Amino acid sequence: MKQGFEVKDKALLEAAELILAEVRAIGADEGETWVSRSALTEVYYELGKVSMVRTVFSDKVCLKLLKDKRKGSTTLNSFAPQDIKAAVREAWQAAQSAAPDEAEGIAELQENLSFSAGDEQPDLDAMYRQLEQMLKDVRQDFPKISFDSIGIEHNFGEKLYANTNGVRLSDQRGLYQLSNMFMAKEEEKTSSFNYFATVYENPADRICEENRVRRLLDETQRQIVTEQFAGSFEGDVVITPGCLENILYYVADTYLQDGALISGTSPWKDRIGEQVASPLINFELVAEHPDLPGTSPLSGDGYVAENMPLIEKGVLKNFSLSRYGAARTGLPRSKNSGGTYVLGNGDTPLDEVISGVERGILMGRFSGGNPGPAGDLSGVAKNSFLIENGRITKPLSEVMISGNLADMLRDTVAVSQERENSGYWLLPWIRVSGVTISGK
Amino acid sequence: MLQDYLQAYVNKYGFSGYTELRAQQNRNRSVVMLNGSLTANNSGTSRGLSARVVKGGAYGFASGTGYGDDLEAIAKVVQTASSHAAFLDSRVQRGKPDFPANAPFVRKDGLEHDVPVEQSYLLGIVDELDSYIAERFPKLLSRRIFARVLDMEKLLYTSDGVVSHSYVPRSNVYVFMTTQDKDGQPVELYDVMGGYGNFLSTFPNAGDFFGKLEEQYEQLILKAEGVYAKPGIQTVILDSDLAGILAHEAVGHTVEADFVETGSVGGPMFGKQVASEKVSLVDIAHTAFGKLAPVPVFVDDEGTLTQDQMLIENGILTGYMHNKESALKYGHTPNGNARAFDFSDEPLIRMRNTCILPGTDKLEDMIASVEDGYYFTDMNNGQADSTGEFMFGVPMGFEIKNGKLGRAVKDTTVSGVAFEVLKTADMVSDTVTWTNSGMCGKKQMIPVGMGGPAIKVQINVGGRS
Repeated sequence: MKQGFEVKDKALLEAAELILAEVRAIGADEGETWVSRSALTEVYYELGKVSMVRTVFSDKVCLKLLKDKRKGSTTLNSFAPQDIKAAVREAWQAAQSAAPDEAEGIAELQENLSFSAGDEQPDLDAMYRQLEQMLKDVRQDFPKISFDSIGIEHNFGEKLYANTNGVRLSDQRGLYQLSNMFMAKEEEKTSSFNYFATVYENPADRICEENRVRRLLDETQRQIVTEQFAGSFEGDVVITPGCLENILYYVADTYLQDGALISGTSPWKDRIGEQVASPLINFELVAEHPDLPGTSPLSGDGYVAENMPLIEKGVLKNFSLSRYGAARTGLPRSKNSGGTYVLGNGDTPLDEVISGVERGILMGRFSGGNPGPAGDLSGVAKNSFLIENGRITKPLSEVMISGNLADMLRDTVAVSQERENSGYWLLPWIRVSGVTISGK
Repeated sequence: MLQDYLQAYVNKYGFSGYTELRAQQNRNRSVVMLNGSLTANNSGTSRGLSARVVKGGAYGFASGTGYGDDLEAIAKVVQTASSHAAFLDSRVQRGKPDFPANAPFVRKDGLEHDVPVEQSYLLGIVDELDSYIAERFPKLLSRRIFARVLDMEKLLYTSDGVVSHSYVPRSNVYVFMTTQDKDGQPVELYDVMGGYGNFLSTFPNAGDFFGKLEEQYEQLILKAEGVYAKPGIQTVILDSDLAGILAHEAVGHTVEADFVETGSVGGPMFGKQVASEKVSLVDIAHTAFGKLAPVPVFVDDEGTLTQDQMLIENGILTGYMHNKESALKYGHTPNGNARAFDFSDEPLIRMRNTCILPGTDKLEDMIASVEDGYYFTDMNNGQADSTGEFMFGVPMGFEIKNGKLGRAVKDTTVSGVAFEVLKTADMVSDTVTWTNSGMCGKKQMIPVGMGGPAIKVQINVGGRS
């Protein structure tokens, strides 16, 4: 919910106003701060049992000040006035030694707003029941699955952004999140591990009713006994939605964000408006979406966030740049801080995405080295299956892929109609041709 | 330095049931310079208090940021943890007895390293390194220098009378250099300097590291002129840095007792041959080869006095890493692998300094023994699996042809199944090198040390055909 600026916890506002007053008093030209207070409650399962209930109360302050475009910043986890004053002095001393940077600055004055979503208080009983129900469902429907850990947490927090230009923005939200790691085992044989995370607002949700969860558990059960193949070939890779999130993270980091553009290493740095990917690719960073409770209404540098396309029909539309990155490169600032990915669905049913593969693999997880600046990547195709003549034939292990991120987006030949949703991302399956796939 | 307010709390309130009470302060500093511009100049402190209470085998944990002389605030954290343990105990009714009590002791470790460092000192070192690179290597496409300090200080009181105050400093400088290959594609190489110690003692002069920058640049130019590795199983000499991550990723994770309990491959292989008899692997607690290990841990966060944990002895899997609970379950002795990253984190079973022990071979003899293969000299990230399948990135390496080093190799990845790869280890060098910049992720991050000699193995290389 969006409304006029109103901070519920007055301690946040008092801390922020003290910080900005100290920033001015010490002689800085500009300053900004994030102040937050949160309570996280977790029910945790490990070693075959519900093992722990945990609560973390947390206060956090990040502050930045500028003097003659020289920057100093500090973080602390106390609202005590003496700690805040010491932190401002520390940031001031850091700024004295820094070189000036004309690109430095803070968010401009804008409408002051507050946002809120979710419950403040965790329902501990409901969280416990939800975990018990999930374990019961998995034991019944997927008896070979063994969980290393499951955490169900409720995180409630309020955070406030304030700066010396008069900007005041706040966000208060309480969300439940489930994360885990699991494998399948039978006698002495085990599958690769797998995992999923999901964010939601209602702890009464039955986790195992979600198609994505059932698919992951089922695929993992079918990977206890795997096969390997010898040699290598160029083939198609069908990338599952969860794995695609990992690949898109690499794409953003390698081609679209501050580091790659400020350093000038991004091969896409001069390609706004050009075709960089298959016309099937529509890649958007979202700040608001009815199906994604994990979005954030505020950007990290003090703006109200908005949805923003990165690639439309394969054409590069925007970069994902912070205020600083935009000022350094002369390119437009991103409308959000990224991290919540939506890839538009295609018009090919998933069955046909797979049936169109003559020889290739279905890749459930990618475990690889960080791509180089040109986007070259290689790594293990975990939780994967061989596809032959349009059919999934056998589970694989020890299979690697290598290729180039930009080439993979360019060589995307099918995007599924179906998408999966983690609460943080909404993504389809894609089929990429011409990837080097190697066995033992 | 953390003030001890816990003693007064314990004197006043004592403990009711098994309890760990920990105050902790993590101090961070970071400076990032990108092409001469300062993009990060930050210092920070994360300080707080946590309590973990065990009732009938059910754990309650709570933490808060207000660590100070307010004993009521400390009591509130302990009470919240107790309340959680009681809630869970009422649900699960496990009925377990408390852990066997440790003999009480008091220890202070590493506190002499708590030396104030000004942010300006980091900036000065980074600026000097950056200026040197800019002047010496003007044709670089980009350069990035990242200085990072993480000092972890913990004060632990347990209900069985353990008092431990420890300080573990770490200071690193990462240098990234990027050039272009003949096709205009960017090629990057990074190096990490530093390790255990405060920033002043680790980086007394920037000039001490100019030689490393020269070496890094030379390697980068070779890499830019390099070739892609051939995919598939190859004979590879993994240099010391890579052997360390092999020890950590390929074996270490599969023999953490919690992972074993879930079903990792380490379970059924206990007592069996899992590696060549030339391979012995140990998780060092604090001291190795007469020196402090990269991340010395003298007392873990459950109050266990640490010892080295042998994992593989002459190729036989002989041990797991434990916390108190898993050690009790397996009938083993806990050797202090329960570690927490921040004050708000509960202890998990973690590695400390995992190291393959040195062999007797000379590196030059190992290279000379390879007719057609690779010598990989550096690593970046790595991941492991319950099956023992692992991967790690290789940003630098060379071909070996007829026993001699050949062309450099561009970024690649190696992978394999841990125990299968280690069974192929037929040569192990006589020199161990440690890396002390790694952070291991497992619910929480944690600093770890990794070490090893060079080893010659058969391993899958993710090259291009």
